[in-house]
Amino acid sequence: MTTAEVGVDELSLETKGTTGQKVVVALLLLIPMVVFALTPLYNSKGPELFGVTFFYWFLTFWLFVSAALFTGAALLLNKMEGGK
Amino acid sequence: MSSTFNIEVFAVFVSLFVLFVALGFGASRWRRGDMNDLGDWALAGRKIGSYLAWFLVGADLYTAYTFIAIPESLYIKGAVYFFAVPYVGMTFGVALITMPRLWKLSRKHNYVTAVDMVKDKFNSRSLATIIALTGIVAELPYIALQIYGMQAVLTIMIGQLVTSNAATITEVALIIAFVILAAFTFTSGLRGAVVTAVMKDVIIFATVIVVIVLVPMYIGGFGNAFTAMATAKSHPVTGSYQLSGLFLNGFISLTIGSALALYLYPHAINGVLSTSSTKKLRMSTALLPIYGVGLALLALFGVLAYGATKALPLIHTYGPVTTVPALIYAYFPPWFVGFAFLGIFIGGLVPASIMAIAQANLLTRNVLKPYFKNITPKLEARLSKYFSIMFKFIALAFIFVVLPTYSLQLQLVGGIIILQTLPSIFLALYSNKLNKWATGLGWLAGQITGLGLLIDANFIVSHGTSITTVFFKFSTPLGFFYAGMIGILVNLLVVLVGSMVAGAVRPNAVASPGTSGRK
Repeated sequence: MTTAEVGVDELSLETKGTTGQKVVVALLLLIPMVVFALTPLYNSKGPELFGVTFFYWFLTFWLFVSAALFTGAALLLNKMEGGK
Repeated sequence: MSSTFNIEVFAVFVSLFVLFVALGFGASRWRRGDMNDLGDWALAGRKIGSYLAWFLVGADLYTAYTFIAIPESLYIKGAVYFFAVPYVGMTFGVALITMPRLWKLSRKHNYVTAVDMVKDKFNSRSLATIIALTGIVAELPYIALQIYGMQAVLTIMIGQLVTSNAATITEVALIIAFVILAAFTFTSGLRGAVVTAVMKDVIIFATVIVVIVLVPMYIGGFGNAFTAMATAKSHPVTGSYQLSGLFLNGFISLTIGSALALYLYPHAINGVLSTSSTKKLRMSTALLPIYGVGLALLALFGVLAYGATKALPLIHTYGPVTTVPALIYAYFPPWFVGFAFLGIFIGGLVPASIMAIAQANLLTRNVLKPYFKNITPKLEARLSKYFSIMFKFIALAFIFVVLPTYSLQLQLVGGIIILQTLPSIFLALYSNKLNKWATGLGWLAGQITGLGLLIDANFIVSHGTSITTVFFKFSTPLGFFYAGMIGILVNLLVVLVGSMVAGAVRPNAVASPGTSGRK
């Protein structure tokens, strides 16, 4: 296999879709990661939920949120990729 | 507890273990392929759909790390080890970006491991060998952690059942379990792991939900546990259930470091490559943070234990490594204890099997085969099966020799090592401009920095005899940092600067993909 052939393969790895779609995907992926990294934002005791301090339930709650946002990103990426 | 209680626990545990073993051996018939082919044995014929991929990758990730190591660490040190929750949230974002691309490249070029890609991209057999060996070494402490988890369950179950020789019986039981595991990994390969992963996860999920609902009720609410933890005097370092300022950076660096590390592990990539399409891969990955909820609840068991007065004596007797099994043992009927213990036990066994398969793959395909060209595909598959047995027993030996203060450190040391493969794997996915020498040098600089800081913190600064911390302490206000994160920053700097310099001096010296390997 020559370098040129692989080059063509690499091109086919390019993400299809409009710029708008790409921006939406980037946001859906980045928002949870940024929130998780902003530790001072959630490093507090209250408000509590079922006796659990904020730090713990906030992070757990964001697992659900990130699953939802990531699923949105995955659906959009699958649509952009095309095919069945 | 009465002896009938303990016999009932044991009976349920053993019965379910027999079922587990039957499933493991029976799995070789499932979607049967040619078991003499490595892609078939190690990647289950690449036929895994979204639903099973979810369980398989879940089985990789939710292991004794989740059931034993994180709750134990939370119990001992407090809030800083809740980093595992943002870590799992973040890591699937990383995976959604990188893994479909690796999947496509692999399908196109018939890669079975990420190292196949490294060899192609950099056109360097030596760099590929280094990355393969790094993966193999980094998996060992991770497998050892699984064994610690299994041992924790057996310690309580057997310790309560017999009056003498509990330690010896526990060791023998562990070895028997490993022989059985080795036998079914040998015959069923990744299929065995996938099928048993479903059983394991169903048991674990049921257990976690029951415990997290009922135990707070028994102890008068979660608030009591937090109060008890705040007044307990065992957290001189991290400041109980809140993060102290000194540990903010420790928390963030552990989170980001672990999130970047996970999908560099050979076993995680193995799971990814076994899925049947990029669409299914994306969907199962996107939903994996839900799986992390189980992890978050289990981590909270480390707090809950403080309020669980019936479990505390057990934890004091058998050690904090038994936090989760002790809680279950103290508050539930024997049939449930046996059921839950089996879940935790196979929660260590199944991932150990997956990890050993990934190591074996790397050793035959990426370390031996490039130097011994006459290895046939049939021999390659055969060798891998034998190596998978060898690695399980190396890890088993590991835990009889190495004594960490707490089990999580094993995984975090593995993290320092595997993180240094990030430029060769993740960056190489996107760039053809990386220089192989710069990448190799970056790897070396990263390992020396990361492991050097680890040795410094444990053996030089504190004169310890075992690994008790993975943090390097900067002067305030920076505070603690995960050594692996410092290592990868040094590594990236060397790789990027080195590649730029090499590219400027000799443009032809940069990696040109695809000139080696399959003709």
